[in-house]
Amino acid sequence: MDLGEFETDNSVSCRLSSPIPDLCKNEDCCLGIDEAGRGPVLGPMVYGICFCPVSKKEDLKALKVADSKTLTETERENLFMKLDEAKSYVGWALQILSPNTISNSMLQRSKYNLNALSHDAAIGLVRYAIDSGVQLKEVFVDTVGPAEKYQEKLSQQFPGVEVTVRPKADSLFPVVSAASICAKVARDHAVKGWKFAEDLGDVDTDYGSGYPSDPKTKSWLLKYLDPVFGYPQFVRFSWSTAQTLLDTKAVTVHWDDDEEDGEKAAARQNNTSVLSYFSRKPSHGAHPREPHRFFSERKLQSVDTL
Amino acid sequence: MTTKKKRSPPTESDSWVLIAPDSVVASRKTRDPDATFVSLRNPATDGGSQYLFSNGDMQVFEVKAFSEDYRSWFIGQRVQRDGRLLYVTPVDPLFLLLPYLRKAGAEGKFQPLQQVVMDEDYPGCMRLLSCTHSVDSLHHVADEKEVGSMKFHRYSQEKTMEWLQKKVERIVRMLKKSDISVGGGVKSSTFIRVKEENHVTEVDYLCYAHGLISEYISEDLSKDLHKHLQLPEMSSPNKAEPPSKKRKLSDKPVEAGEDYTKFNSADFARKPPKKMTAAQKTLAKVDKTGMKTMSAFFSPKVKQENN
Amino acid sequence: MSANSSVTVVQLDSAAQANKEQLHLLPCEIEHNGPAEVSRFYSPTVKDHKHEMTVSFRGRPLKGQEVNCPQGYTGLVLKEVQRPSSDQEDRIVKVSSVFNNFTRWNLETPPTSDDGVVMAMMWPKLAEAIHGPIDE
Repeated sequence: MDLGEFETDNSVSCRLSSPIPDLCKNEDCCLGIDEAGRGPVLGPMVYGICFCPVSKKEDLKALKVADSKTLTETERENLFMKLDEAKSYVGWALQILSPNTISNSMLQRSKYNLNALSHDAAIGLVRYAIDSGVQLKEVFVDTVGPAEKYQEKLSQQFPGVEVTVRPKADSLFPVVSAASICAKVARDHAVKGWKFAEDLGDVDTDYGSGYPSDPKTKSWLLKYLDPVFGYPQFVRFSWSTAQTLLDTKAVTVHWDDDEEDGEKAAARQNNTSVLSYFSRKPSHGAHPREPHRFFSERKLQSVDTL
Repeated sequence: MTTKKKRSPPTESDSWVLIAPDSVVASRKTRDPDATFVSLRNPATDGGSQYLFSNGDMQVFEVKAFSEDYRSWFIGQRVQRDGRLLYVTPVDPLFLLLPYLRKAGAEGKFQPLQQVVMDEDYPGCMRLLSCTHSVDSLHHVADEKEVGSMKFHRYSQEKTMEWLQKKVERIVRMLKKSDISVGGGVKSSTFIRVKEENHVTEVDYLCYAHGLISEYISEDLSKDLHKHLQLPEMSSPNKAEPPSKKRKLSDKPVEAGEDYTKFNSADFARKPPKKMTAAQKTLAKVDKTGMKTMSAFFSPKVKQENN
Repeated sequence: MSANSSVTVVQLDSAAQANKEQLHLLPCEIEHNGPAEVSRFYSPTVKDHKHEMTVSFRGRPLKGQEVNCPQGYTGLVLKEVQRPSSDQEDRIVKVSSVFNNFTRWNLETPPTSDDGVVMAMMWPKLAEAIHGPIDE
């Protein structure tokens, strides 16, 4: 699998895809959706779709694709090769959500949670397949969040397509297993070959599984914690593991959308800074005049002490 | 996410980021290589403010801080918590001398300047006497008498008014050339800035300039100047809508953080309440005061809440 | 003696040896004064596409823009040489770096000319109109 396009800028989200088999444009198709790397605190989360004509379901089954989690890395690589060899009737597409995209989305002012991010990635991929001419009739997907809601959301998006949202879909439907293999292979490659945008010299690549519970992952997170910047973009800042480490070991950073306390809200209404309350005392005089609006609009004020 | 920590009180700075005239930096080529920050009596507030003397005290500058909440600097390979940007800009030393002259003027006598400009609280004020533009331009605000080699001065209200009027006129000329919004208080927040200002009158410019000058003179002198310029009764736009501390978090929601055009549409207030982030609440609050002023301005004084 | 009698002396001759350093004005308060690995963690991740600069800090998306000092003005960073032992003593600062522009960052929102820091750049020009001497 060639991740070159993602690796040129691994701070953003990236779509990779196989060519669309001609068969898929002429016959009714089924499509599976699955993801890899949802839980880890490191690296991208990858969404994958895999599709083939409904008439080829048995051929796909014969490739012996199984849930990627039950396979070794080598087995997954081999199965991905087999899928590639079956390109006359099997197609796939991937959405790689970089850890930076995940952090940025989850930490933005109007919070964009992981479920919404996942749903949108899945919907985007299915839309891509339809727009590329795939004659889509059936969609199978493992559930993200409440199954009924997800099913409803997908059905609404794609009228005329039969949507099946099912827990453990990756072990029940070969087309979902195939999607999970594509996603997992991409995720493994992305993590293994991670090019740090930061200038960190030789980075220890012994990340462990990337799961917060893995001691190797934990010690890597401790080793690469910077007191000011926190982490390289390889780490998902929005994970509580990362947040907790930063809260205890890095310098505190305050943003204007941190939860407001009463004092701050009052200060904001008066258009003054909280700091001015307890450090730089306001100018004397019984009736301090309001500064002219030229200055208040520009946040300019006299300086009492340096 | 985890709970947010309280902000700790700021530590005393040992570094500052500032913007200063090239001449201040270039003055190191002159005989006095140093510049000095001095605390002087601020003529408008009567409290202490920071000023900078350079070129052997021949030039004086004031210090203003651009101070936005939640700002810090990266400077090279360093972080500076204090995110202020200090502006060092010229100040007319006459503004700083005026309070002393007026105080002495109350006695109605001609006095030598050295006797007038004395201040136990702000001993640095002596430096003002070496400024190029202070002694030379005292005739703008004081009557002068020369006895032998000695010069004596007496504050003149009449001259001062004339001098301030000339300043106001110059500021008005500058404002007209600039894109500073001077219209009757409409642009109450940085979020709403109407670019075209067809309705701005000469009086708007004069009021704005008077307001700027008032930052450098005492309150009673500001009132005198207001009269002298024959400006309309002070309607004090600031006090018309005092920001109430008790005002609840807005019940008028705002949709997105970016789309400020919505603030101008009349029906935005009808949108149903939605859950807002802290930042949106802040925006909503800011908008509210701005909106009042807007509607007050555009509608002929009647009702404003039921649009 | 008044507390206001002590002054802060700026050793301007130090400006000749001052470094040219990159400055970034961030949209957050960092509770720290001291070293920061800006060139390792921050600068290499700044992206500049058609005048829109983007970067992340602590996982949050920032949008930035270069700001030039007003004409006729120079940016200076002053640093205290030695902390005085009492508040009666003069403070001495030197020019540790000089700059002609800096990068200012917003949290998420694209920079506009209505942002405070850009509007404030207008001040020196207006100050000159207010404070220039009146000629006869």
